[in-house]
Amino acid sequence: MRGDEVDSGRLRRLGLLASALAGRALQVAPSERGEPAWTDGRMVFVDADTSMRDQLEALAVQASLLAAGSLEPDVVRRLMRRPALAKRYLAVEGHRALAANVHLLPLPLRSLIDCNVAARGDSPAASLAAALSREAIADPPDNFGAIRARHLLASNDRGGASATTREHVPRRQCNQMLVGVEEDENHDVGTAADSFSSSAGGGGALGRLLQRMLSMVRPLDGGGPPGADAPTHRRRAGTRGGNNTTFSTRMAGTMEEAAIEGRGTKYPEWDVHRQRYRQDWCTVQEVEPRPKGGTSLSVSDPFGLRRSLSRLGTGLDSCHRQVQGDDIDIDAAVEARVDVMAGSAPDEAVYVDSLRRRRDLSVLVLLDISGSVAEPGATGKTVHEHQRAAAAALTVALHELGDRVALYAFHSQGRSAVHLVPVKRFDDDLDTLVMRRLRGLVPGAYSRLGAAIRHGAAVLEERGGTSRRLLAVLSDGLAYDHGYERVYGAADARRALAEARRHGTGCLCLSIGACADAEALRRVFGSAAHAAILRPEQLRQVIGPLFRSALRSAEVRRR
Amino acid sequence: MNSAVSATRASRPYYVPIGNEEHVFKAAFRQALSVVLKGPTGCGKTRFVEAMAYDLDRPLITVACHDDLTTADLVGRFLLRGGETEWVDGPLTRAVREGAICYLDEVVEARQDTTVVIHPLADHRRQLPIERLGVTLDAALGFCLVVSYNPGYQSVLKDLKDSTRQRMVAIEFGFPPADVEEKIVAHETGIDHDSAAALVRFGQAIRRLDTAGLREVASTRVLIAAGRLVAGGLSPREAARAAVVGPLTDDSTVTSGLVEMINVYLTDQATR
Repeated sequence: MRGDEVDSGRLRRLGLLASALAGRALQVAPSERGEPAWTDGRMVFVDADTSMRDQLEALAVQASLLAAGSLEPDVVRRLMRRPALAKRYLAVEGHRALAANVHLLPLPLRSLIDCNVAARGDSPAASLAAALSREAIADPPDNFGAIRARHLLASNDRGGASATTREHVPRRQCNQMLVGVEEDENHDVGTAADSFSSSAGGGGALGRLLQRMLSMVRPLDGGGPPGADAPTHRRRAGTRGGNNTTFSTRMAGTMEEAAIEGRGTKYPEWDVHRQRYRQDWCTVQEVEPRPKGGTSLSVSDPFGLRRSLSRLGTGLDSCHRQVQGDDIDIDAAVEARVDVMAGSAPDEAVYVDSLRRRRDLSVLVLLDISGSVAEPGATGKTVHEHQRAAAAALTVALHELGDRVALYAFHSQGRSAVHLVPVKRFDDDLDTLVMRRLRGLVPGAYSRLGAAIRHGAAVLEERGGTSRRLLAVLSDGLAYDHGYERVYGAADARRALAEARRHGTGCLCLSIGACADAEALRRVFGSAAHAAILRPEQLRQVIGPLFRSALRSAEVRRR
Repeated sequence: MNSAVSATRASRPYYVPIGNEEHVFKAAFRQALSVVLKGPTGCGKTRFVEAMAYDLDRPLITVACHDDLTTADLVGRFLLRGGETEWVDGPLTRAVREGAICYLDEVVEARQDTTVVIHPLADHRRQLPIERLGVTLDAALGFCLVVSYNPGYQSVLKDLKDSTRQRMVAIEFGFPPADVEEKIVAHETGIDHDSAAALVRFGQAIRRLDTAGLREVASTRVLIAAGRLVAGGLSPREAARAAVVGPLTDDSTVTSGLVEMINVYLTDQATR
């Protein structure tokens, strides 16, 4: 077993090489024993038991196939359920792909290429034509592995999911999410069954690791007719992005006791249709949260946020005209001399000192707990669970860095009952009670995003007490309430964010695990820094740039 | 002062043109236009300017920009000499007076209020107002303003103002194609062609990895450093580990992946 783990560790390290050869992110994993190497477009599976050299060759072939466009869906579709054809195609196209990639191949691997075969085609289509013809084509060497049309198409159908997360704003669309794939019995080439689940999902440490690494792991639900040409899949986005969105009408637990008219703060709302504000339109009430007993959420910076956040706004600043410092401020020194010459008392502060800037930052995290976040997101868990984990991680990380943090949750039931639940106020201690309150949040009702943002910004300005202020909105980007329909709500939310920015509060918006597409998010969040990620683990990659961008936008306005 | 004047050298700095960048630069120079050089770090921007200064026979004044660069650092200030204040030109003023090429390296690092002083110089006016002296200098013939920046680097935080960008002619730089890069590495380091080719192939492979957790890819400069270590007696693998992997990443997973790539691409025998 230990040997296996060592092997799989090495294979995993080969991922970089594979990505380089393929020109896109690829991971390498061991395949079933004795099974030829194959790829699904995101992972390359090679036999861990063969020699290093064989593995490299297999890797080079599979990665080159991906790089040369040999495994594009239109070609692969024709190889579906035709193992003999796929083999002939691989024999020709493998050499062509290697030849096309020759400038990248390490010297020892170049001997793989058979120039005569490579010359047969100059494109995947030509190779396919050659494979379809009656010409005699020698079987590909064993190291070439196999082409598995079905797996390629299946992973291809997952659309942009293979795009790796780039920094800043990954505008990834995930509305073609593949939720379940039937296992049908035909493998195009190769004999072992159920290779995806066994190599990625099973297999000890590596399997678990892969499950964590893949942004989505397909559950094998076993249903559906065997032999279907394309994997059947359900589309998640319809429940969320389309017009026929369903909302939970379940009342939140805290709703009834606070639905008392007369108290609360009134906020205006932007009417996009009439292009003016409706004064005192929404009533925002702060509703005491109900802590939930039991184990508190354990948060000790699980996503490694502290490191990316600690770098924010702490650069060294050179301060001129200091009484002491490590360099002479020449302008000040000259003035001092001139003063002396002129007979007046000089200012002795003539040094430049490097001082570490204090962050002086307060952050208010606004958590969406409307009914829509109670739906399961792209990864199985509900959006609420993801957002809650992210909110907790953010709060803890910022708190530990010495910033002032508050965490408010919000939902609404019409304009007179916009409820903000202060999970942690600025002056509250960050203790288990906060975590229990956070656990006690029950998603329900709607989200009047604009009013929540206005209240959050107001609280921040009033009680933040620092020169830099940040409002972090965790939401699925769905602004909807009574009389607050899609277009109107998005416009109001955008407006509210712009107002906050104008008052020097930076805004950033995060959507975690929701299937809202990039376009919808942009409609709601406008020019505010926003990102959509699939799971909270990815927070670390986007949080630094997001915070920086938000802080910067606020700083620009303030000047 | 953080500027350097390079005297005209005896031989042309080694620069291999990849596209039409030399023609564009020389045309812009003749038409008295300012130039912005865009490209990743270590792809030859500075070397290009040096070569152009040599070809055009102008002195080159280089200013490395940093975020505490003040207008006075560029334009000049009064200093004390023997009880009198005396005006001392900054590098930009000197270039304007002498008709030199003034090269502001990594201009985005400078604060935006500082870069604004180049505006009147960069457009048709070609003037440098010096308010402390109360004079406005007209740029001498042969003055050329060149700025460089790396668009990928810290792009969220720093960017050139549009008003600055639009006063310039842009030349984009990328890494040279493999055969040219081989020539460059071989020339700069003195290692033989095969070793250079292996290093370059490794570098090109890394460049395909722009998503794998590397902030920057292996630049030509990094490959040259590796080549020089090889020339200094290290084996290619050791050299690449020290000069390529170490500078590129601190992440242990990425490091082990890169080491695995090195083992595939490079040999373990020192050439000398």
